Amino acid sequence: MKIWKTLFPVILSAFLFVSVSAAAQAPVALDLQPGGKNPASPVMGDHLQFWSTITNTGETPIEGLVAWISLVEIDPGNEQPVDLEDWSAHKAVTGASLKPGQSLRTDWPMRLIKGGDYRVVVSVTDRGGRQVYTSPTVQFHVRQKPVLQAGRVLPVAAAIPLLFIGLMIFNNTRRRHGNGRL
Amino acid sequence: MMNTIWIIARKEGAQMLRSQRGMIWLLTFSGLLSAFSLLLVSNTELSLLDNAQVVYMMAGTVMAAGALLAAILGSDAYAGEKERGTLVPLLCAPIAPNTLLAGKILGLLTAWGVMFAVATPYLWAVGASGQNLGAALFYLALFGTPVALGFGYLAVALSARTGSVLASLLGTVTLLMLAASPLVIGPGLRGTAVGRILDAINPFAGALNTFDSVIIDSDPFSAQTSRLILVTVWLVLCLLAARRSAARPDFQ
Repeated sequence: MKIWKTLFPVILSAFLFVSVSAAAQAPVALDLQPGGKNPASPVMGDHLQFWSTITNTGETPIEGLVAWISLVEIDPGNEQPVDLEDWSAHKAVTGASLKPGQSLRTDWPMRLIKGGDYRVVVSVTDRGGRQVYTSPTVQFHVRQKPVLQAGRVLPVAAAIPLLFIGLMIFNNTRRRHGNGRL
Repeated sequence: MMNTIWIIARKEGAQMLRSQRGMIWLLTFSGLLSAFSLLLVSNTELSLLDNAQVVYMMAGTVMAAGALLAAILGSDAYAGEKERGTLVPLLCAPIAPNTLLAGKILGLLTAWGVMFAVATPYLWAVGASGQNLGAALFYLALFGTPVALGFGYLAVALSARTGSVLASLLGTVTLLMLAASPLVIGPGLRGTAVGRILDAINPFAGALNTFDSVIIDSDPFSAQTSRLILVTVWLVLCLLAARRSAARPDFQ
């Protein structure tokens, strides 16, 4: 009887621990890695690729899975989420389903529009669940590049209007001389 | 018949290249593109924009200006002749209505071609060091031409039907402003249900989305098929409207 009195709390504790651990374990495992061909020191205009792996670690299928990519600028004093409108045409994977143990590997191409420090993350949720799971973040720095060359823009911007002004003067002079002869 | 079309087209084209009015328009257009380019170079925040983004913005501006010119020239096509007192002699001349319309249309095409030629060095200046400049020029020609000419045909239809330059211009420019609203409306508003419906039926938005798709996202031609159908349908419908109105223009 004494043994039972000692063993019962131990068994109960062990049972509770296993139950709580199972409940707390996320049914989705997420991994995010930069692509192998990504430039080491990317500059504006370069293309980067990120690979995410979503694994169903639970015991029930995940239906209506939605995964999306988010980008955050982390420059000091300029911390803000970035609108991916021009950065990427591939912003989400929707409607996928994952059986227990099954994985979904997705590539997320991205074009670097603006210089600065950024952090990228992939988030996942499903139709039935209320949780959002996020991957580890990947941080990268984009070097600034002067995209518009004043040396090329200025001559064009000045020369073409001047050309039309010259043509107008030429046409007027010719017309006046023509009228004069008449 | 071809000779008559050619004579009318030459007369219309000369308005663009030799008349004071045409030169003022070209000067204004080049001034607009110059100001736009200089703004991009001088403004530090805007200069952060990627070349492809700048080329996309400029392609949209060129198409809008082309559609505006087509609307002006189209409005003048019949109603202008009427107001100058030259429509009746033109209708009495042995020229078939379709021949007269074809000449006017060829004139519109010439005007758009001149604008495209003027815009090309600007696009090169802002986009040569970036990506997809060739694609930008190709798609501006492929999508910009039917969109701009469509507005021209619509203006021709209204011009022949109403006999008033002002009424035609007002109607076409109002529609053009509505159609060109995606240039100023952000992606957020365009992403709403109403915005998506408008995008799906608006040829101007269709062309803009194609510029975005091919210049910024480097998407292939196959992704543009539905939008190409949209702008082609727009062009054909406007041409049919112009043809119908031009068969019996208002000359009284």
